Amino acid sequence: MNLFKAELRRIVRRRLSLIFGILVVAAVLVVSVVTFFSSSKGPTESALAEAQAQADAMNAEYHGEYAECMADEAFFEGPGWEWTAEEPGFEELTQQERCEWYVGSPGYTAEDFLWSYTFDLSEEGVVMLIGLAIVAGLVMMLLASSAIGAEWSSGGMSNLLVWHPNRLRVWGVKLAASCAVCAAVVIGVLALAFGLLFVAAAARGEVGTLDAAWWEETLQVLGRTVALTLGMTVLGASLAMLGRHTAIAGGVIAGYLIVGDMLVRVAGMALRMPFPDRLSLYTWVTAWVNGRIELYDWSASNFDGTADIMVIKATEAGLLLGAVVLGFALLATLVFRRRDVG
Amino acid sequence: MPPIIEISGLRKTYKRAFRQPHHALDGLDLEVAAGQVHGFLGPNGSGKTTTLRALLGLIRVDGGTMRIFGEAVPQLLPQVVSRIGAVVESPQFFKHFSGRLTLQLLAESAGLPRTRVDEVLEQVGLREAAKVSVRGYSLGMRQRLAVAQALLKQPRLLILDEPANGLDPAGIHHMRELLQWLAHSQGVTVVVSSHLLSEVQQLCDAMTIVSRGRRIVDGKVADILAGHSGTSLSVRFPDAASLPEAALALTAEEGVSAAIDRERLVVTGAPEAAWVTHTLADAGIYLSELTTETKNLESVFLELTGTAPTPGGTVQIGQSVVPPAAVPVGDPPVDVQVEGVER
Repeated sequence: MNLFKAELRRIVRRRLSLIFGILVVAAVLVVSVVTFFSSSKGPTESALAEAQAQADAMNAEYHGEYAECMADEAFFEGPGWEWTAEEPGFEELTQQERCEWYVGSPGYTAEDFLWSYTFDLSEEGVVMLIGLAIVAGLVMMLLASSAIGAEWSSGGMSNLLVWHPNRLRVWGVKLAASCAVCAAVVIGVLALAFGLLFVAAAARGEVGTLDAAWWEETLQVLGRTVALTLGMTVLGASLAMLGRHTAIAGGVIAGYLIVGDMLVRVAGMALRMPFPDRLSLYTWVTAWVNGRIELYDWSASNFDGTADIMVIKATEAGLLLGAVVLGFALLATLVFRRRDVG
Repeated sequence: MPPIIEISGLRKTYKRAFRQPHHALDGLDLEVAAGQVHGFLGPNGSGKTTTLRALLGLIRVDGGTMRIFGEAVPQLLPQVVSRIGAVVESPQFFKHFSGRLTLQLLAESAGLPRTRVDEVLEQVGLREAAKVSVRGYSLGMRQRLAVAQALLKQPRLLILDEPANGLDPAGIHHMRELLQWLAHSQGVTVVVSSHLLSEVQQLCDAMTIVSRGRRIVDGKVADILAGHSGTSLSVRFPDAASLPEAALALTAEEGVSAAIDRERLVVTGAPEAAWVTHTLADAGIYLSELTTETKNLESVFLELTGTAPTPGGTVQIGQSVVPPAAVPVGDPPVDVQVEGVER
């Protein structure tokens, strides 16, 4: 417990933790402020009047054009309309039907000319919370890999092992401390973001219906998101432990996210395998967070225009992602256990 | 009292791609008795740091046995580590942490009281610089911080790799007094690896010299020096013309040799100084000066390790003397043992 507390304190006291903490809080504030100012409960009287005027003008224009079409029986016989002679069914339409088809449906309303956005917390809040939690998780992954990598590169690991020679215990405590910090930060971010978005929705948007069903579904999704960020943290720490440097962990993660995933997708398509998206980690992450994902394979020879569907559920996604994280963590454990510390 | 550290036949080989494997430790033996300051010496690359790292469980060895406080390590290291304070090689710390925070984190991790941090900061002379971040520390200050962290646990065994590295003369003096006080007043066993031989000579009670991963010699510092001093005598005469005649008189005795070195005669193999004066007087030759060639630790070290520089040449790493394969240690470490080197 002493080692765990010391490790927690060491992570928290790092300068990078302070910088990352400020960045994460800043991200939450930016999203909340942008939401607050971009949302409104409805148009003002003057904006509504202006939009109504625009709608009226458009309707008047429509009616003029429509009346012109209706008045001229030979409207569709002039130059440019020769093709109607060959169009089956056109001949059977009445003049009214032809004119409505040509001019379009009448009835513009003021709403068509209003450009207002109303933030609905119950509808959009969860997606924003998931996004913010994943950003916080990425930051925590970097922080965890940095905490391990910096200890290797600074020689601190050697010092620590002189004090605590049980390597499995040291590694376990480091992982636990990183995960504890990650969980605290991500849950803190979610609480802060929910509070600020609630204020934004209450003041300038719609809170919507936050009933028991909403809470149940939201908490499940956010719970899986928090679990995902914990997995990311363990992965970051494991890569840093394997590479003994923060940059190696960061490089592997960034390399996969930027290039690796694209290469895997391209390879899947090149091999003409069904559902190539299933090779992408993003697919499985989405399935895990959302609870399920449907993949469509249009390459299948369904002449009726339908596609084969593959459904990935949260359980399957959780097993795969968990296996990836566990694999790296076990590899890091084995290597650390046997490695000479220079 | 059993030795605090017992190492026998320690082996460590680094396998290298496309190159011959490097035997960093080649059957090394080491014994350190309780309550002494023990110097651990050897040329660069002789295996000192590797030995200390192996003792502390930082590297795996390929053979041999190690015991600290009678417990086999690294298997039982967690049981004895609370009694060991160590600094291995150049001390490294998080640069943005202050000296105090660095120590507090270590103390907290081992459940030590915070008051202990201030005590060791005072002990190593870092009280005033405790709040400064390590980035602003000089090499000597970092060294002091490293020693402070080794002292935190109030260890019964202190292992210090180059503790005087970077210290100013006052710091070296302070460190020497501190280590001797710990050993002689507090009963702490101190193992010091160092290249500052004059410092080792002043500081240590006993020492072990290693070369190429094997022990060459161990024992009390005074005994080792004595064992390699006094074997030659410098004799001067009022008249340099007496030199050939004196040499002839002395070498008449079996086992004694005498070489003329400028205006003096260097005699080796003589039973004792009095025998020289007596023999020369009997031959009617009267000397003006007779001195025992006293060697310092540096010259003994260079002789034993075969790393004495030659004019116009540089001793390369790994060119030290190759001791014969290690033999089991029979005598306690306070007795002088010389392996592979003629005494």
